[in-house]
Amino acid sequence: MNALEVKQLIKCFNKKEVVRGISFSVEEGELIALLGPSGCGKTTTLRTIAGLETPDDGEIWIEGELASHGRKALISQKHRHIGMVFQDLALWPHMTVYENIEFGLKANGLILAERRKKIEAVLHKVNMQKYAKEYPGKLSGGQQQLIAIARAIVTEPRLLLMDEPLSGIDVKLREDIRQEIKRIQQETQITTVYVTHDQEDAFLLANKIAVMNAGMIEQTGSPEEIYSSPASLFVAGFVGEANIMQVKTAGKDRVLTPWGELVYNTKGREGKNAYLFFRPHHAIIDNSGHCYGTIIHRDFIAGMYKYRVSTSGIEFKLQDQTKRDTGEPVKFSIRKMEILFF
Amino acid sequence: MQKKLTLGFFFTLFLFTTFLPIAWMFGNSIYEEGKFSFAYYKDIFLTQKYGKVISNSLILASVTTIVSSFIGVPAGLFLAKTRLPLKKYFKICFFIPLVVPSYIIGIAWVNLLGKTGFLNNVLSQYTFLSPESVSNFIYSIYGASFILSINLFPVVMLITEYALKNINPRLEESGLVVGSVFQVFRQITLPLIAPAILSGMMIVFVLSLSEFGVPSLLQVNVLTTQIFTQFSAFYNEKAATAIAFPLIAITLVLIILEQIYLRGKSFEILGRTSSNSTIQYNITWLKVVGIIFCSLVLIICVIIPLSTLIFNTKTTSAYRDAVLLARNGITNSILFGSIGATLLTFIGFFLGYLSENIRSRLKNSTAAFIWIFFAVPATVSGIGLIKLWNRPEGACQFIYSSLWIVILGYGARFLPLSSRIIANYLKQIPHAMEEAGTVTGASWFRILGKILLPLQGYGLIATWLISFMFCIGELGTTILVYPPGHETLPIALFTVMANSPTEVVSALSIVIVVMTLLPVGIFLAVSRYLVKLPQLTF
Repeated sequence: MNALEVKQLIKCFNKKEVVRGISFSVEEGELIALLGPSGCGKTTTLRTIAGLETPDDGEIWIEGELASHGRKALISQKHRHIGMVFQDLALWPHMTVYENIEFGLKANGLILAERRKKIEAVLHKVNMQKYAKEYPGKLSGGQQQLIAIARAIVTEPRLLLMDEPLSGIDVKLREDIRQEIKRIQQETQITTVYVTHDQEDAFLLANKIAVMNAGMIEQTGSPEEIYSSPASLFVAGFVGEANIMQVKTAGKDRVLTPWGELVYNTKGREGKNAYLFFRPHHAIIDNSGHCYGTIIHRDFIAGMYKYRVSTSGIEFKLQDQTKRDTGEPVKFSIRKMEILFF
Repeated sequence: MQKKLTLGFFFTLFLFTTFLPIAWMFGNSIYEEGKFSFAYYKDIFLTQKYGKVISNSLILASVTTIVSSFIGVPAGLFLAKTRLPLKKYFKICFFIPLVVPSYIIGIAWVNLLGKTGFLNNVLSQYTFLSPESVSNFIYSIYGASFILSINLFPVVMLITEYALKNINPRLEESGLVVGSVFQVFRQITLPLIAPAILSGMMIVFVLSLSEFGVPSLLQVNVLTTQIFTQFSAFYNEKAATAIAFPLIAITLVLIILEQIYLRGKSFEILGRTSSNSTIQYNITWLKVVGIIFCSLVLIICVIIPLSTLIFNTKTTSAYRDAVLLARNGITNSILFGSIGATLLTFIGFFLGYLSENIRSRLKNSTAAFIWIFFAVPATVSGIGLIKLWNRPEGACQFIYSSLWIVILGYGARFLPLSSRIIANYLKQIPHAMEEAGTVTGASWFRILGKILLPLQGYGLIATWLISFMFCIGELGTTILVYPPGHETLPIALFTVMANSPTEVVSALSIVIVVMTLLPVGIFLAVSRYLVKLPQLTF
């Protein structure tokens, strides 16, 4: 049984479809990342699961129960048992850390002793026992983050929803908090939906990634699958560094590239325009290569030289550990196995 | 469900207190002897009879708007953009003319410029002006505009200052690195705050159009006073309603025009970034001009009127007489004002929440619908309430003959205002604060009690104080609806004016000023000792 299953979900704002019939499922204890550029409908999807938005069509199943069908909510907010971490955290500034966490427990009618036990346990889990009596305003950004997570998981929800919790945090702290999120999620085994536009977050945290674009899911799969076999041009371009160039096909197995003809199965696209895709590290710079170009720009990042190379006006990216100058001609070969066509 | 029912209930309550009396009144005015008749409306639109009154009203409103903008925009500018010394005190003082009832400023200036007034003597002695011409001025539309400008310029000032302070400084900085201060002001700052200034001017226009106290004090014949005369002197409430019609029509057209103009001109671009402060002009001569300008405004709008009233009372016995004469009015005002302010804050909270949180396209129209009623002239609300509640049934009679009719009047007049203030405070709370409560499964009442209301603390107190001040000064509606024995301070003042010496009138005016300002003063004094909530930073 899937912990969460979304079927053909549609949501409109002002007659415009923001979520356009998406479907995905999450297994018990899994963390799925909804990854996509801003405005692709990922946050709306999350809010619809939480019951904060009413969907216009589609079904949402939580642990085998139909939670909403069309515009009808069959399981009310209260009974969905959802924990949520908001983008700007939404910690209540007039309540202490303790009271912030206690709110949901009280709402669920737990008695004082139980509440105390659970709050202590959850504060212990996020290593924030010391700060129970502080107001959120007194805490650092990272500490606020942990409290927001603690508040979301203290009720032992069936589903944890996280809406870009790491946006607006600096890089170093981001890494630490990401590790914390991963540890907490693995320890508690709470099924989690994690919305982000950041590839690193998605790849480092998720068991499964759903790449979204313009209200639809382009591809769902493990991080490895998403990276190495992107299912669409959008996924290929959005995830990782990519070279995408328009090429023409000629015959069943020939592709016209800037470097001449390439023998490749064109999958029935004879005579049509197609897109050739390869990642910079799938090309090897060496003098025996049959591809060629001129370096027009060079960057040095993380021990690697990144080159922008031009062949008859078409630009693409290569990388190598050897330093070369701009204006220098280079020869390279692309690993045929790694080339994709769209 | 809880939420929908509660908000529905309070919206119905609003319709009941504010909309129904007016709708009832208009319905009544076109229905005579069992059939529809537009006789009174024909009288207004097809004869010349009211042409003069309508044009008087329009002149009053236009002149007031222009003059108050000429005072308010520079004042707001100096407060927001220059390093003016004593800035804080200027700002607090400039609030006074707004919160003190307009007719009190009127009384002070009449005392000064009337035939026997001190300033009239000085002017006629040292200039070519005759005593008559000076006193004719104050008893004219232009005199009324002058008083109302003093009363209403703070509206334009506050909005200008607020808009200037909320401009994202990066927008100005990016201009300043390439252009001069004045170029940036003309091409960046001014266009950014123009919509705000315009809506400030709009508010002033509408408020002066529906003003009753000052024109009635200065015996200027405008629509609002004409409505009052038709109703209370000729008992012709249908004619009174018909005269109210052009007033409401003008207001409606203006509000709709404003909505159209502001569409797409969102204030969002003024959004503050997390760390910034308003860019200040550090120009010496501008500072000097600012000091001179603000001091002049302070003298004319605050010091002269208040000190005139104080000097006019001459003896302390005048205060005793005033308090004795208006004893009933004072206790009534405090009681009615407190009940009124409390209800206005409470109901206003839900209305403000409704207009701020309603989803979809209804949002703007709901807010505009509620706000329109702030422009309904006090006398019109008064007549509407009488028409609706003055009927023989027991419950209606109970309300009509008790303090509740006055409270209903406060509601009809000021609910749009209190809800608007709360809505503005609610805007500052991120929506996620409530949603974070919702996802835990907490009921809406729990979220309301534990999250929304506590976060609104200061907003609620501010709304209460502003409502209280407006209730204390309310004249136009109360004068029509108050049952015998339930007169409030302003009514007592108008009665005293007719048959008591200037000293007592001035003394009573001072009493009203103190009663209006005292709660605010106490609040300001105490607020620094209240524990401030730590602000959440992201």
